[in-house]
Amino acid sequence: MKFIKKSVLSLVLLAGITLGTSSANAACKAHLGDFDWDSANIHTAIASFMIEHGFGCDVEVTKGSTTPIMAAFFDGQIDVITELWEDNLVELLKPHFADGSIIHMGTNTPASEQAFWVDRATAEAHGLKSVEDMKKPGVWELFKDPENPSKGRMTSCISGWTCYTINFVKLKEYGLDELYTNFDPGSGGALDAAIAGAFAKGKPIFSYYWTPTSLMGKAEIDMVRLEEPAYTADCWAAMSVVVEDIKANGQEAYVPSCANEYKDMALTKTVRADWAAENPDVAAMIKAYALPTEKVNEMLAYYVDESDGDMEATAIHFLSSNSVWESWVSADVAANIKSAL
Amino acid sequence: MIKIIKKYINYLYLAVFVVLIVVSYLSSKRKPDNVTELFTDLGWLNNFPKWLDVPFMHWINTGWRWFSSEYGLVFDAIGYVLLRAYVITKNLLVDTPWPLVVLGVVALTYFASGKKIGTTIFVGFCTFSIGFLNPRFWDKAIETTTIVFIGILLCIMVGLPVGIAMARNPRVRNAILPVLDLMQVIPSFCYLIPGIILFGLGAIPAIIGIFIYSCPPLIRLTDLGIRLVDKEVIEAAESFGANKKQKLWGVQMPLALPNIMQGINQCTMMALAMVVIASMIGTRGLGDEVLLGLQQLNVGSSLEAGLAIVLLAIVFDRITQAYGEKIQEKTQPTIKKKKYKI
Repeated sequence: MKFIKKSVLSLVLLAGITLGTSSANAACKAHLGDFDWDSANIHTAIASFMIEHGFGCDVEVTKGSTTPIMAAFFDGQIDVITELWEDNLVELLKPHFADGSIIHMGTNTPASEQAFWVDRATAEAHGLKSVEDMKKPGVWELFKDPENPSKGRMTSCISGWTCYTINFVKLKEYGLDELYTNFDPGSGGALDAAIAGAFAKGKPIFSYYWTPTSLMGKAEIDMVRLEEPAYTADCWAAMSVVVEDIKANGQEAYVPSCANEYKDMALTKTVRADWAAENPDVAAMIKAYALPTEKVNEMLAYYVDESDGDMEATAIHFLSSNSVWESWVSADVAANIKSAL
Repeated sequence: MIKIIKKYINYLYLAVFVVLIVVSYLSSKRKPDNVTELFTDLGWLNNFPKWLDVPFMHWINTGWRWFSSEYGLVFDAIGYVLLRAYVITKNLLVDTPWPLVVLGVVALTYFASGKKIGTTIFVGFCTFSIGFLNPRFWDKAIETTTIVFIGILLCIMVGLPVGIAMARNPRVRNAILPVLDLMQVIPSFCYLIPGIILFGLGAIPAIIGIFIYSCPPLIRLTDLGIRLVDKEVIEAAESFGANKKQKLWGVQMPLALPNIMQGINQCTMMALAMVVIASMIGTRGLGDEVLLGLQQLNVGSSLEAGLAIVLLAIVFDRITQAYGEKIQEKTQPTIKKKKYKI
């Protein structure tokens, strides 16, 4: 009996303590949405460290693939997205920007590339410079799909991501779908491993990929970007309509339209309007947050090679070896962050 | 020599532990500037110190790089054989008209279950329903089935001999049990991602994954089944002058068959679970429909694909269970025994 009394008492006491601490921090909360690729992880790690230690907020990070995270963001469960591949999601974002529930927070990383790539050795040996060259007789056999030997394998984007559907349309428009499979690697890690594995074995690889990424920063990974028809806004808009239609209604919804290269796009940031109104100073920091592509690649290389795969350590390394972030926040917030390093 | 080692084995472990700590300190990038700081500043007792970190990751990465470049060809060969088996079986089944496949499954169930009409009709209906749910699922279910089938064949080829060896020799059992624990517990992505580097994306790493994930129950149940055979029965066999080989194949294996069939059944169920996870590494089949539904936030489509997997599981389960029961009726004639008692 005594034991029960004691344990109940201690439980009550404990509850009191936890309630006390949480109500003390509840003044400011930030829920960051993170994605399953490493450049997004790095921005989320840096931003969450700054918000947590600089502004003393409760920070929560949820990581997932694009569709569920964006759905949670539109639904109001997530407040901040630190790296947004806006051009891939134009149609999806439009209504939410229009009704003012989310706010565009400017550029995060000014330039990124998405494209089709071929490993340099194969590209030089066979003179592969553009997507047209991939149609040359015999070229597809270099990339033969082991499970479907009548076609070559174009290791594509992950099937739930918009780029998978974009690649599907592109292959059709370029007339490559007769020769290559739009092969879904299943997850970001599997795509990386497929490319790394091809280089480790010295085998040809034809793949969709993007920068900034740690894999592209590695010395042994050397790939050639295939040229595609130049970007025009009209063509892209026409394609986006078809892409959204396919996403909603399946691949049968494909109609011939147009295709051109991915725009080297600026990665942007976005927050929820209601959250920004409650936390104007944190929102101002998010708005000021911007890093050049080289810096991101450098951080990614540090993450992979030196941090032992520790994103928080990478964020701390960035904050302690750079001063660019001090201009994003006020002096006393910067002092808070510095003392936490 | 062995005696000496046994006597001092604990000291040896201690020495290895100390060496590991020293190595981790020396190789860490976050160690204090001077060793003496450890004694003056005791802050490291508060939080787990960053320098107390065995560089296990580096060892594995270095070893892995060496391994994959040295033995890459071996894995290419294994991959080629499995791939041939996969492609041939899959194409054969995909090219067969679907009513024939359903009829084949029905016939298989009919004979495997010992001509039980109820089970046969139920399994036939489930098989038909996979395509009935969504016609696109039919070919995908065949791809999944082929992968599971080859994975199980591999499990049986390796699992049965290992299970027999374990049952016959306690030393082998003691050596293999921790390996089985490791195989069952280690998160599947730990071996699926290296699998991609060795075998490329697709069905082959999934088959290897199935092998690692679903072989342990088969091995365990084979081992258990053989050891559970009545001592008296074995003594009887011995008294008739059976040698070790005759004892195994004539007495132990037939009596252990129900258990082994249960092992194969469990192996099948786990293989189906793994083939869904393997869709994350680009394995075609019903799993990638579930994954797509998840990534597109399409509850209906992922649930539909999930149901198709359940149906497939029921088909596998019913056939193997029914076959197991049939064997059980043969080897353990419980009804007859009761008659004798009376």
